[in-house]
Amino acid sequence: MDLQLSPQHLAFREEVRGWLAANADRPWREVLRGSTATEDSLIEARRVWQRKLHGAGYLGMDWPAEWGGRGGGPVEQAILETELIEADAPPILNTLGIGLLGPALIHHGSEEQRRRFIPPMLAAEEIWCQGFSEPGSGSDLASLKASAVLDGDDFILNGQKVWTTFGPWADWIFVLARTDGKDRYGGISFILCKLDTPGITVRPLRQITGESEFGEVFFEDARVPRTNLVGEIGEGWRIAMTVLAYERGAISFTQAVQYGRDLGRLATACKEIGRTGSAVREKLGRLLVENEVMRANGIRTLANFADGKAPGAESSIEKVYWSEFDQRFRETALDLLGPGGQLVRTSPEARDDCDWARQFLWSRAETIFSGSSEVQRNIIAKRVLKLPQDPR
Amino acid sequence: MRFELSEDQALLRSSTRDFCQRELPIDKTRVVMEQSKDGYEPGMWRSFADMGYLGLLLPESVGGQVLGAIELAVVMEEMGRVCVPGPYLDAVLAASVLATAGGHEQLLAEIVSGRKLVVLARDDSPYRGNRAEPTRFSDGRVRGTKYFVPFGARADALLVVTSDGLVLVDAPGNMTALETMDQGQRFVAVALDHPATFVGPLSLLERIDQIGAVGAAAMLLGVMDRTLEITLDYVRTREAFGRPIGAFQVLQHRMADMLLRAESSRSAVYRGAWCCDTRVVETALACASAKAYAGDAARYVCGQAIQLHGGIGFTWELDLHFFFKRAKTLEQRYGATEAQLENALAAAGY
Ligand SMILES: Cc1cc2nc3c(=O)[nH]c(=O)nc-3n(C[C@H](O)[C@H](O)[C@H](O)COP(=O)(O)OP(=O)(O)OC[C@H]3O[C@@H](n4cnc5c(N)ncnc54)[C@H](O)[C@@H]3O)c2cc1C
Repeated sequence: MDLQLSPQHLAFREEVRGWLAANADRPWREVLRGSTATEDSLIEARRVWQRKLHGAGYLGMDWPAEWGGRGGGPVEQAILETELIEADAPPILNTLGIGLLGPALIHHGSEEQRRRFIPPMLAAEEIWCQGFSEPGSGSDLASLKASAVLDGDDFILNGQKVWTTFGPWADWIFVLARTDGKDRYGGISFILCKLDTPGITVRPLRQITGESEFGEVFFEDARVPRTNLVGEIGEGWRIAMTVLAYERGAISFTQAVQYGRDLGRLATACKEIGRTGSAVREKLGRLLVENEVMRANGIRTLANFADGKAPGAESSIEKVYWSEFDQRFRETALDLLGPGGQLVRTSPEARDDCDWARQFLWSRAETIFSGSSEVQRNIIAKRVLKLPQDPR
Repeated sequence: MRFELSEDQALLRSSTRDFCQRELPIDKTRVVMEQSKDGYEPGMWRSFADMGYLGLLLPESVGGQVLGAIELAVVMEEMGRVCVPGPYLDAVLAASVLATAGGHEQLLAEIVSGRKLVVLARDDSPYRGNRAEPTRFSDGRVRGTKYFVPFGARADALLVVTSDGLVLVDAPGNMTALETMDQGQRFVAVALDHPATFVGPLSLLERIDQIGAVGAAAMLLGVMDRTLEITLDYVRTREAFGRPIGAFQVLQHRMADMLLRAESSRSAVYRGAWCCDTRVVETALACASAKAYAGDAARYVCGQAIQLHGGIGFTWELDLHFFFKRAKTLEQRYGATEAQLENALAAAGY
């Protein structure tokens, strides 16, 4: 066993720290609270920050160098993310492009597609959104109905996507569409669509946080060139599965850093407002312990990555753990802070250490997206525990 | 970075698993736990000595193996899988204190070879309105009452925790057996007013407590692992409503949660052990977290195992109750959850 970062990794961390010390802007939580902050201005701030990171070579860390990556691995990626969290840097803008589509193109795209789409993705010139879910297909994604029919050199798309994060701001969408109505998995294809194509309409949807971070996308006889097909016709499901594997990654490691940072702030806040009784301490103690165990899970995954072991279905255990932990954490935070914890971030009276109210609300989404907690437990039961499946 | 055990550690695991399956299968030890006065057989202790378990953490000069917390965790986890009775962890911890204090070479050699048993006597908390005075050491005598001394009846000497430091006392004759629900863990209460020798300051316990927490958490991990295996076998074969009960989603999700807790405990235990051996700053937090988490986790896993077995799960005949009881005993010892939460908070500076 060796859970220590290697000298190269430590050197990389020093490099990132040095760069952040010289280049980090105002802490993101201050930007969020700014009196002139709007959803649009925050999007622009994220774009600017992404370009800065890109200029320094910190995007697509684990991509091959020819695609603007650093040829690093998941450990470098995790170190970078950890340092960004510690510095309270803004999130990048093109998370779905870089997090999901980039790897899909690197693994399954054509040379031309990589050349065409990767550079503007990294430079935040083209923002991407992910069109998988539909009104009738979420957990049961393979039941999706949006259709793509080949007509000469074009596909004609019809149908609807929903809960599309960044839909209202994106320039492009990668969609799963049905090219064969009879073949459940083999009838799905992976297609790139420009959102200003005639026949495509995007409408924002308001989330429980009040923000319109996601939206719905309608396709009515939208014509998309066949060259925008990634992989072969019917390969979409396989590509989507690679993409989703990336979505899971070594996430507990970085989450533990973020939650640990916020938990420290909660502990300080409790002292400040005189909440130091044993009932309060027990709650803090339990959160601390659970976060530390999550960190241990993260270190284990990261060490396995570094040791050349790809994560399997165990990543479902991590997803359930971090998302459900965050809910307990944010609920407890509001309990301990009292009504003051419910102040919205733009209220001048709100605490400036963390946006407690929004994080409390946001944590409800975490057990739904990227495979709900129920779906993850199904995966654990089937693939890890190999339990008998219910006859349908 | 690497999470996997080294080759030597993996060998230790497989030899310990073989040893436990051969020498200490639960259908054999359950008879001992039920029938013997002491809860374990002297023969078991001799074989521990032969396997090198008793000197695992000790220096070569006294016949020890000079290994660390990771190896201890491996052995404890395997022992947990068969719910080994006896004072193994107690003996390891007491010996480590003596070794760290310096001297005691003769006694340590006898401990390593299994000829002598020394255990820590630390608990002076009352449990029935009998308010205990803190144990003191002065003028070469130790005075006070210790409760829940593990396997005191078999011990040759007690390493007593007093407000004035750690002292060694020959095991007195006047002990009261405290029979608890876990027959593999025997305790006594002992009233002390005896000549004793000073061993060292209380600060000697700091590191030992961390190792003890990880060791106990590792046994809890073994307990969970085995209990989950037994349960998985059962739900695959037991049928109700025309299908194996393991096909019911509500039970599948329960078992997913059991696995989540067991596997998260594994991450925490081995990280804690690695921290102990590497002596990094996060050691105190990692060890406290491993123990607090594994204690809760094992109670959940063992309790749900009984639930998923239905009526037969509540029988003495099935092995599950041994694991369930051990989980509870371990949860409360080697730093109970409440104390570990305080340790964690202190380590984090909260
Ligand atoms: C904030 C947010 C952002 C999102 N962003 C995107 C995005 O960018 N792109 C995109 O494509 N999608 C996105 N999604 C959609 C997300 O992937 C889906 O919401 C998710 O897959 C669940 O699908 P659903 O909403 O249709 O719920 P349903 O599948 O209808 O589920 C309803 C409930 O039933 C449960 N359930 C379903 N099947 C089972 C089963 N077999 N066993 C037990 N329980 C079951 C679920 O767990 C859930 O509790 C986003 C969602 C959220 C909340």
